Amino acid sequence: MATLFWSALQAVLDGVLTGSLYSLIGMGMALIFGVMRIVNFAHGAFMMLSMYVTYLLFDRLGVTPYLGFLAAAATMFVVGFATYHGLLRWVSERSEFMIILITLGIAQIFIGGAQLTFSGDFHKINTPLSSQLVHLGRHVTLNGGDVLSFAISIALAVGMFLFVMKSRFGRALRAIAQNRYAASLIGINVQRTQAVAFGLGVAAVGLAGGLFLPAFYLYPEVGGGFNLKSFVMVVLGGMGSIEGAAIAGLVLGVVESLTSLYWGNQWALVVDFVIFLLVLSLRPAGLFGSQRV
Amino acid sequence: MPHVIRLRWLPQAVLLITLSALTAAACKGNGSGGGGGKQEASGNTVRIGVITSLTGAQAAFGKAHKLGYEIAAAEINAKGGVLGKQIEVIVYDDQGKPDQAVQGASKLIDQDHVAILLGAYSSETTRAVIPAATQKSIPLLMPTATADNVVETGSPWVFRICAGAKAYATAMADFLKNNGAPKTVAIIYENTNFGQANGKAMEVAAPAAGMTVVANEAYQASSPDYKALLQRVKDKDPEAIYYASYLLDATTLMKQTAQLDLNPKYLTAAGTGFSAAEFPTEKGAGKFAEYTFSVSQWLPSAKWEGSKAFDDAYFKASGSHPAYHGMQAYAALVVAVDAIKNAGSDDHQKIADAMRKEHLDTPFGPIAFDAKGQNAHPVLVTQVQDGQFKVVWPLDQAEAKPILPTPKWSERK
Amino acid sequence: MTRRRAVLAAAGFGLCLLVPLVVQQDYQLNVLFRLALFAAVGLAWNLVGGYAGQLSLGHAAFFGIGAYALPLYHDKLGIPIVLALVLVIVTAVAAAYVIGRVSFRLRGPYFALATIAFAEVLRLSAKNLDVTGGDVGLQVPALFGSTSPTRWFYLAAVLLTAAAFATTALIMRSRFGYELQAVREDEDTARACGIDPARTKLHALMISAAFTALGGALYASQYFFIVPDSVLAIDLSEKPAIAAMLGGAGTLTGPIVGAILIEPALELFKTVFQEGYQLIFGVLLVLIVLFLPEGIVGSIASWWRRKHAS
Repeated sequence: MATLFWSALQAVLDGVLTGSLYSLIGMGMALIFGVMRIVNFAHGAFMMLSMYVTYLLFDRLGVTPYLGFLAAAATMFVVGFATYHGLLRWVSERSEFMIILITLGIAQIFIGGAQLTFSGDFHKINTPLSSQLVHLGRHVTLNGGDVLSFAISIALAVGMFLFVMKSRFGRALRAIAQNRYAASLIGINVQRTQAVAFGLGVAAVGLAGGLFLPAFYLYPEVGGGFNLKSFVMVVLGGMGSIEGAAIAGLVLGVVESLTSLYWGNQWALVVDFVIFLLVLSLRPAGLFGSQRV
Repeated sequence: MPHVIRLRWLPQAVLLITLSALTAAACKGNGSGGGGGKQEASGNTVRIGVITSLTGAQAAFGKAHKLGYEIAAAEINAKGGVLGKQIEVIVYDDQGKPDQAVQGASKLIDQDHVAILLGAYSSETTRAVIPAATQKSIPLLMPTATADNVVETGSPWVFRICAGAKAYATAMADFLKNNGAPKTVAIIYENTNFGQANGKAMEVAAPAAGMTVVANEAYQASSPDYKALLQRVKDKDPEAIYYASYLLDATTLMKQTAQLDLNPKYLTAAGTGFSAAEFPTEKGAGKFAEYTFSVSQWLPSAKWEGSKAFDDAYFKASGSHPAYHGMQAYAALVVAVDAIKNAGSDDHQKIADAMRKEHLDTPFGPIAFDAKGQNAHPVLVTQVQDGQFKVVWPLDQAEAKPILPTPKWSERK
Repeated sequence: MTRRRAVLAAAGFGLCLLVPLVVQQDYQLNVLFRLALFAAVGLAWNLVGGYAGQLSLGHAAFFGIGAYALPLYHDKLGIPIVLALVLVIVTAVAAAYVIGRVSFRLRGPYFALATIAFAEVLRLSAKNLDVTGGDVGLQVPALFGSTSPTRWFYLAAVLLTAAAFATTALIMRSRFGYELQAVREDEDTARACGIDPARTKLHALMISAAFTALGGALYASQYFFIVPDSVLAIDLSEKPAIAAMLGGAGTLTGPIVGAILIEPALELFKTVFQEGYQLIFGVLLVLIVLFLPEGIVGSIASWWRRKHAS
């Protein structure tokens, strides 16, 4: 009985650690979707790109990924900003079909580019921290790297939430999300604000990519699965609610972990999507959202 | 305004013509192209078709494959090729996807008129290619697919040079029985053709070696977190674990096995990811690979002549030593070319007949195919010791003694 | 006028049926088969995605249902091929009913995401269930047993495209077609006019699913062998959508033009650019969204209209 309890606790904690990284991915998508209504199919590709930046910093310059992720996220902000400014801005009035199509195209460009530049082969990094163990009592053991990533992610998530809620820029963002036209009337530079928002959303998934690297591996198509996860989180959290997406990320991590423990790892993704469909059909505003669809 | 409506068709017609031209160009592709009949003479080379995974999650193996084929092709051509012609190896990427593998195979057969097909890498992609090769009556030589269903379709066109899942499980069970005879084993496998085949094979082999299967866990590839799965296994407290995994997940699995402090007496695996050249290096599982047992089909230290030379050529080209996957590609091409030589023609039927009579000593060992097209290849058991794969079983080929029991994670340096 | 168009279209498809007289090499026929097949599935997608304006990114679900239902009915239950094909359609339509009832309560991107989720649940379940053979896969019965089946597959795919084309054309002239477009333009207004948007969309999806599933069954039979990743993958949801959007969503010929563009383009890029083909394909997608926002057919049509309006 006691063993069962400790197993469950271990699984929940591990789920929370992984989930905190999902949160960043979800928040990035929520920001992009909430402000611009862009369903970003390039999200995973941006994450992959950030992982390459983090990897190169580590491999060439010896920068630890726990610092490198910041540089990677900054790079991704620039990439996101430029992508919005150079491409998405011109199509923002087009149908959502076309916007999805262009993000699919952007993803293909990044994946293909990575394949040409780095080949299809995989990379992996090992840091001392990522094999350090943290013992909580006798029964629960966590990975040091994961714990650090968790702490960083939570801090970043809270920071991002406060930024969007309290700052002048955040208010501009929310104004645009509510009514783009009215926002421009009260003197908000809509296009620039959106470009920054897109950059921030991409930077968020960039943060996750950088922090994921020490626990994972990297190849050009690594981001594909995370696209779908980010959609799941955005829907669970309530479309466009960044705090909702953050919580949804943690929930997803725990659900996957518990499914693995009690049913079998091969069903974890199935359960993700079933929950997603249940929420969509029973409570379309999301588990944590209050927005009307 | 009828004229407006009528004229709307004009640009569309122009467009359709342009697109048809594009289609025609695509159909022509890069090959000799054009018209009917198969088996047209393909100029002054003998073409050999290869499908492997150059991109996607299995790209590391595809890279090893490609290098193996290239080394073999260079050697063969330096010795004058075959049938008085140079050989030309045409490689298509399957991205690790079955449908892409079939499309590539179909292109190699119909467009490039290759004499024989080699590939693919994984059991999933290879299994998908078999019906196409059979229907087109072209020999398919499979270098690395371990799922045994690839030689059990009844197709007379398939040949496999590697040992399969059953041989793997039997060898490992045999090793365990003779080295401490654990009573319980947990099986952890990827939910793919390869993983399921190897998992099932161990399920059958374990009882015969006196082991009870206490856990049988399938997993979804490319997950970042297998800790809950491993926790499930830990709760069953098995004496041995048998993993069937490709390379990327093998690294994650070992790292997380350590983290959960899961300490069976034997950490064993069905080759593949656990025997990839990268696995015991920093690029792979690094120190977490230490002490793991895995089945293997070949090592640079193998006694067969030519192994050393292949190792040198591979190291020169890539800067790292080969695992058996590269060697299997090399051997496949060598055997294929020998069969073409013995057939005296690039006719598919004659090559297949020659293949059935094949008896060739290669650096991968002697190769001959049984009625199913299976080559009886011996399986070795290796252990990672100081970052190197060392053969520990069977005894007559052992280079080192197995280190047993596996030290607990907490007691390792 | 419409009769003229019908005659033109019939002549076009007739010409396509003659292609095997000229092209006899299997590989080339295979490319043409895939082209025709994805034109058919693109047309099917267009009913929902183009005319009803509901962006489905889960058509792989119907494609895969078609691909799996054929071997399951024929090989496992011993149902004769023709009846099995009928059941393939019935199954897909039933699945469309279920999926539609859930998904159509949602609008816009929510709907798109729900359809992706359905397709993924099916793919992952097929991977893990015994009845579908798991990831080991299933052998698929040959629909055409002759010595050169590729030709027959090509002809079947052309006929499927023609059927989807004709169905679309007929629907667009019917009351149902106008209802669909009314729903696309404004659901609330449509409802005010006495149209039941949910039912209209559901019917469109069911018709679309029938054609898509037949396409899936053809595709599976042509490949002899299926695994979840070859017939339920998200690529297969994206492909018909991309074909239709490239050609022009909500235009009759758009999906055909789109399929004629992307199928050979992908094939060419793979040959010419090899590992960089995705990059080139991505650039192509981006350029089309930037410069041909209504799709090729749509953009050309409006350019032509503008030119002649003045």
